[in-house]
Amino acid sequence: MAAPMNPPSPCRSDVMIQAEAVEKWYPNGFQALRGASLTVNRGEVVVIMGPSGSGKSTFIRTFNALEDFQKGSITVDGIALSNDVRNIDAIRREVGMVFQQFNLFPHLTVLENLTLAPVLVRKRPRAEVELQARALLERVGIAEQAEKFPGQLSGGQQQRVAIARALCMEPRVLLFDEPTSSLDPEMVREVLDVIQALAADDITMVVVTHEVRFARQVAHRVVLMDQGEVVEEAEPETFFTAPRHERTQRFLEQIL
Amino acid sequence: MRKRSAPSPIAFAAAAASPLKRLQRQLAPSAADALLSLGLVALILWAALQLLGWAMGRADWAVVQLNSMLLLVGRYPLAEQWRLWLLALLLALQAGLSWGLLRAWPRADRREQARLWPRHDRIAGLLLALLALLLPFALHLAGPLQWRWWLLAAVLLAGRWAAGRWGQQLPRRALKLVAVLWPLLYLLGFWLIGGGLGLAAVSPGDWGGLLLTLLMASFAMALSFPLGVLLALGRRSSLPLLRWGSVAYIEFIRGAPLITLLFVGQNILGFLLPGGASPDRIWRAAWVLTLFAAAYLAEAVRSGLAAVPPGQLEAARSLGLSQPQSMVLVVIPQALRVALPAMVGQFIALLQDTTLLSLIGLLDLLGTARGIMANPEFLGHSSELYLVLAVLYWGCCASLGLGSRALERRLDPRSVASRR
Amino acid sequence: MNGTPWWRDRRVLPWLLQAGVGLAVLVVVAWLMTNLVRNLSAAGLLLSWRWLGQPAGFDLSETLLPFNASMSYGRALLAGLLNTLRVIVFALVGSSLLGLLVGMAAFSRNGLLRGLARVYVELVRNVPLLLQLLFWYFVVFLALPDGAAALGWPALVLAKSGLYIAGFADGRWQLPQLLASGWQAPVHLSVEFAALLTGLITYIGAFIAEVVRGGIASVPAGQWEAASSLGLHGAAILRHIVLPQALRVIVPGLTNQYISLAKASSLALACGFTDLYSVAETTLNQTGRAVEVVLVLLAAYLAIDLLISAAMNGLNRLVQVRER
Repeated sequence: MAAPMNPPSPCRSDVMIQAEAVEKWYPNGFQALRGASLTVNRGEVVVIMGPSGSGKSTFIRTFNALEDFQKGSITVDGIALSNDVRNIDAIRREVGMVFQQFNLFPHLTVLENLTLAPVLVRKRPRAEVELQARALLERVGIAEQAEKFPGQLSGGQQQRVAIARALCMEPRVLLFDEPTSSLDPEMVREVLDVIQALAADDITMVVVTHEVRFARQVAHRVVLMDQGEVVEEAEPETFFTAPRHERTQRFLEQIL
Repeated sequence: MRKRSAPSPIAFAAAAASPLKRLQRQLAPSAADALLSLGLVALILWAALQLLGWAMGRADWAVVQLNSMLLLVGRYPLAEQWRLWLLALLLALQAGLSWGLLRAWPRADRREQARLWPRHDRIAGLLLALLALLLPFALHLAGPLQWRWWLLAAVLLAGRWAAGRWGQQLPRRALKLVAVLWPLLYLLGFWLIGGGLGLAAVSPGDWGGLLLTLLMASFAMALSFPLGVLLALGRRSSLPLLRWGSVAYIEFIRGAPLITLLFVGQNILGFLLPGGASPDRIWRAAWVLTLFAAAYLAEAVRSGLAAVPPGQLEAARSLGLSQPQSMVLVVIPQALRVALPAMVGQFIALLQDTTLLSLIGLLDLLGTARGIMANPEFLGHSSELYLVLAVLYWGCCASLGLGSRALERRLDPRSVASRR
Repeated sequence: MNGTPWWRDRRVLPWLLQAGVGLAVLVVVAWLMTNLVRNLSAAGLLLSWRWLGQPAGFDLSETLLPFNASMSYGRALLAGLLNTLRVIVFALVGSSLLGLLVGMAAFSRNGLLRGLARVYVELVRNVPLLLQLLFWYFVVFLALPDGAAALGWPALVLAKSGLYIAGFADGRWQLPQLLASGWQAPVHLSVEFAALLTGLITYIGAFIAEVVRGGIASVPAGQWEAASSLGLHGAAILRHIVLPQALRVIVPGLTNQYISLAKASSLALACGFTDLYSVAETTLNQTGRAVEVVLVLLAAYLAIDLLISAAMNGLNRLVQVRER
């Protein structure tokens, strides 16, 4: 019973996420992932880039079983992702996710958005969680909005709440699925600043984004995905200045 | 993005002007309109005079006065009627308290001052008091009925005042208590009405009039709600068997007129159950109403579910909430908020549909009234009864609609995720 | 991927859930059917359709199909169905016209007209249809005077014995006229039919008015502004610019209202009009064939609903496509 929730220490290593040759077909027959592989180490920040439709969102959504896959294997912090529902619940508890559309719960206040899952899923006392939630809101710079509803906040503020919500579960990995793509330009910075501050705290993160400056400053490694596979993996400097693959070069030409 | 709706052409003419000028713009923007308005005013005046003349002169309200208790509670035993009055008293108190508490605790996010009597409430309270004061006179109700009626109104307003005045000294959780008290009061009501557990039993056959109408409607509403939500979830399920099962049920019920389903309930239900297990006529009808309303409610809820973006479920799941937890805590509350107007519309339709019970021989409000009309003693005075019935039904339906609009205002539209 | 117990496998769980629900439904239905068959055979009423051919023994007051008591139950039900269809067709046209007028009146410049439209809709929608039907029949139509005192204009006479309408007969235009035997006119409607029609039209008309109003309100304000900047005026804007666009929203709403009209017509017996339902009720009382009668009723209304849906879907395609 306890095993899948708290993996025994022998499994613990420096590898946080290990995805090997993941293949996924949609029910309509379209193959979204064609043997994508990626290793993310503990404390590492990995940025995934790539043209739209390259499968990068699908790929990170397989890490917390929002998407299923047909071939290959994914291990998160020593837990192998299988079709066991209990196993899936365990992984989702340990993997936080921030979405492009924020997906805050509009019928709950900001504070309730943060406390809902820790109280229900982690079974922690409400008072304790509320204290932590207020501290997290302080950290992302919106402590004074705790009693408001998400609809009353700006896009940038909403996304910062969403990050705090994910952090409140104390996840071992944070996944960001294009966190700034639906923000007005003037709000992108405030969100990226928060993510950058988190990176300084050694939180393991996988970020799908188009923000080149952010990738250069924050990422330990940058990954290019194209047509459902990982094409190139390199340190940011190498990735942006001396890419090895022709597909990476073409992609960089388009966005730079 | 919400589209701007069509401007009613008055918007162009809304600039401040003298009252006379405004009246002219409203009633006679052109010569043709002036003529039309004149005609309409004449028509309305004529109709009003006719109605007034009839109500004051030719109408004989004795038929309503003599039968007022019959219309209200049917043949409910006289000796046990104190239970109904007690229930009415509790309901009035609870309504007043809920109303007051809602005012004492405006939504936390709005910088609204809690005011004891906002303008709307003052008007509503005044109207209520006026209605309570005048109606017994208008109907020439008997003395005891008169003061009971006044007591009800007084308790409601007093509860409203007390809760509004001191509600804030209670913790905020008291608001949730109100929501729990209503169902409890409902169960208590069934006990008070039906008896048992120490009270003399009153068989459903003796329930009648407005009492039976409200009981049937509220019973069907309360039970069809969870059923409707389940059916709506089934209809949107990815599992083919659940989906097709729900679709088949919903479309079958929605395809048939209620009267034929009541007919099934009265004539076939007995064959479907083992001999003698068939419930009382009234309960059979109540279950048919429930199953009928559930199908319509399911469609209302379905539209609400469709309005909740899939990202909400994904976000809940990625936080580690289980599927049922995600549905109950995240998706369904939002869906119900969207579906609220449609659902209340269905509840109003359901309340009106209870009149069909009179066609299968039950003595609901309409059934009782038709019984009275058939009595030779009151021959030729059906208009009075029809008018009273219309006013009663209209009042019940319109207040449901009003309540729903008040609830919608309290539940911020922004509190539902918008699709992008 | 291996070693997952099947009861926790997310590929298996949905099927388990479905199998469970399916089995439960199957068991309940089988149980009900067993009871039905046992109870019916005990009562000697096992499913049979032979009674349809037996003489009905009751008369129908007003039918399109010639009918008398010696004809069969089957023919009686058919006559009832035709009467139902007649009510639906008339009421459908009437309520559409009324609804369109009232719905457009909600956008009139005349404040009084707007208010009146609002009052009509709120009044009618919040009073049960059955109550309204009884009112129209017993209080209004049955209280009409007869003979020379009948209300009337040359082309239309309202009397207790019915509605008399002018029309062509024997190749010439004829007005209603009072003869020794009573009123005579080319078109005669019974008071029952007239009361039912009036009640249905006013009731459904109010709902259609709301559908129309919602449809017109859904047309963006820019359309009104653009049209008036081109020099068009009130009625012309409504007719040429707004209504064609509003139809896309109105037609689906109309479908719902027409179907509910078809179902509402089953309340005809409140006005003493013999429609399908009232024939079926009489048939049941005489034959005791509850299951068969109910099957006939359900099938008939389902067919009518499907017919309306199909026709309206065709209409819907017509209005939706026109834009592109």
